Amino acid sequence: MINKPALIRFLEEAGDITRFTLRFFRELFHGRFEFNELLRQSFFIGYKSLGLVGLTAFIMGLVITIQSRPTLVEFGAEAWLPKMVSISLIREIVPVITALICAGKIGSGIGAELGSMRVTEQIDAMEVSGTNPMKYLVVTRVVAAVLTIPLLALLADAIALYGGYLGCNIHGAVSWRLFWNQVFETNTYSDVIPAITKTFFFGFAVGIIGCYKGYNSRKGTEGVGRSANQAVVIASLLIFILDLIAVQIADVLGLT
Amino acid sequence: MKKSISQNARLGIFVIAGTVFLVVLLYMIGAKRSLFSSTFRISAQFYNVNGLMEGNNVRFSGINVGIVEQVEINTDSTIKVTMLIEDKVKQYVKKSAVASVGTDGLMGNKLVNINSVKNGSIAHVEDGDILNTLKPIETDEMLRTLNTTNDNIKFITGDLKKITQKINSSNTLWSLLMDTVIADNLKQAIVNIKVTGSRTAIITGDLQEITKGFKNSKSLVATLFTDTMLSSELENTILKLNVSSDKIAYVSGDLSTLTSKMKSGEGTIGMLVTDSVFANDLRSTLKNLDKGTKGFDDNMEALKHNFLLRNYFKKQAKKAKN
Repeated sequence: MINKPALIRFLEEAGDITRFTLRFFRELFHGRFEFNELLRQSFFIGYKSLGLVGLTAFIMGLVITIQSRPTLVEFGAEAWLPKMVSISLIREIVPVITALICAGKIGSGIGAELGSMRVTEQIDAMEVSGTNPMKYLVVTRVVAAVLTIPLLALLADAIALYGGYLGCNIHGAVSWRLFWNQVFETNTYSDVIPAITKTFFFGFAVGIIGCYKGYNSRKGTEGVGRSANQAVVIASLLIFILDLIAVQIADVLGLT
Repeated sequence: MKKSISQNARLGIFVIAGTVFLVVLLYMIGAKRSLFSSTFRISAQFYNVNGLMEGNNVRFSGINVGIVEQVEINTDSTIKVTMLIEDKVKQYVKKSAVASVGTDGLMGNKLVNINSVKNGSIAHVEDGDILNTLKPIETDEMLRTLNTTNDNIKFITGDLKKITQKINSSNTLWSLLMDTVIADNLKQAIVNIKVTGSRTAIITGDLQEITKGFKNSKSLVATLFTDTMLSSELENTILKLNVSSDKIAYVSGDLSTLTSKMKSGEGTIGMLVTDSVFANDLRSTLKNLDKGTKGFDDNMEALKHNFLLRNYFKKQAKKAKN
């Protein structure tokens, strides 16, 4: 297996992930749904990440505003600062940053958790005892990620815009009302809806990659670390690829 | 289980907060796009919309009141723009209002400006009305005009260049320009002109006063200036004076001839005046005559006392007494 060429290994991996995804959808729509477990996972994935995501978003909003200011001042377009900052935050920065933070926190968490369950043969024990581990472990986590990451992104939007508001007021003077007026003036549904839509896919990518890597963990405790690590790397990469696809689709649909 | 309930509650807060923000965001954006308030439609036909798009803002006297709903080609020369306007501004937009395509700032989005016209109609717009339009300012046209201006400026600057070259090469002009004496003289002259001017002003003021006095008073001068009858009489007088002076001249001419003749001793008076011998003769004659008269007086006394004539003289004395 180690001796196989890189391309073959990559293609095998892609095929495995696809098969895993199809299996997830099969399990999602068939049979009983573990609702309580979904709530528990949503709490851990969503609520527990809020502090981290909120802090990151606040800092991003503040920093982007402070960074953009000199360029806009050069053009004499200082009044455009809230508009420009809100567009870049809502459309791109907040969804991607949120997804990346979640990939780091949730993706690695899921990968390590499922990996350790795999290597300690808990998953095998579940199968033996008649519980469907795919349904109980994977489906709940992926669905929780899909549902909570968009919510996290939305709250992060709010916090980042607040950071932007503070950033505008470090050197200039923009009133609270004017700031929000400009934000809502500039942003349209074609800015907000694609941005929120893509966070569902980001969430799905984070959840499914974390689960796949953890579920297929090998080689003892060393494998757990590898799974966690690879989950973060692949999920992050996938987020950017999805972002690229999302922007193309939005462009084709005229949602610019 | 307790832990799970508190977890669920916190999860609930998280989910609700996120959802509320989403709803608020979508609502606020929608409100800005006039999607939730009640609206009405008006349209306008433009010749050129300069890239106006659906969703662009519509402003009434500078306030956002709606959006462009539809931009469609009507005929080969008219573009129909349908606008969605908030109901609350209906009462302010009159039927005579004028729509024009403008730009938000220098490089901003296109928008439709609706402006009221002075002394326009009083009736409010209604749903489906078609507004009058103004031709938008086109950048191309502006650039074309600028191009012509540029060409003209090119010619003018060329001419200016030639003129300055000529001025530079002309020594006379330079010496004139560099001469400080002329400048001083000019300065002095201007000062003088100034003084003269101020004095003239004073004089004219005085003159004005005088003429005012003339107009108001009935003095001789005023009459002279104002009475037309007097002037004709004066004319007559002057004519007569003229005639009499002519005569005087004639008389004085005669007089001068006479005196000259007298001086030269011609005629009796001339001789009387000029001949000193004759004057002596005349003086001695008068002496003799005086003597002769005295003798005659004695003779007459003697005659009175003569008896022959005594009676005659007495009668004469009686007559004188009575």
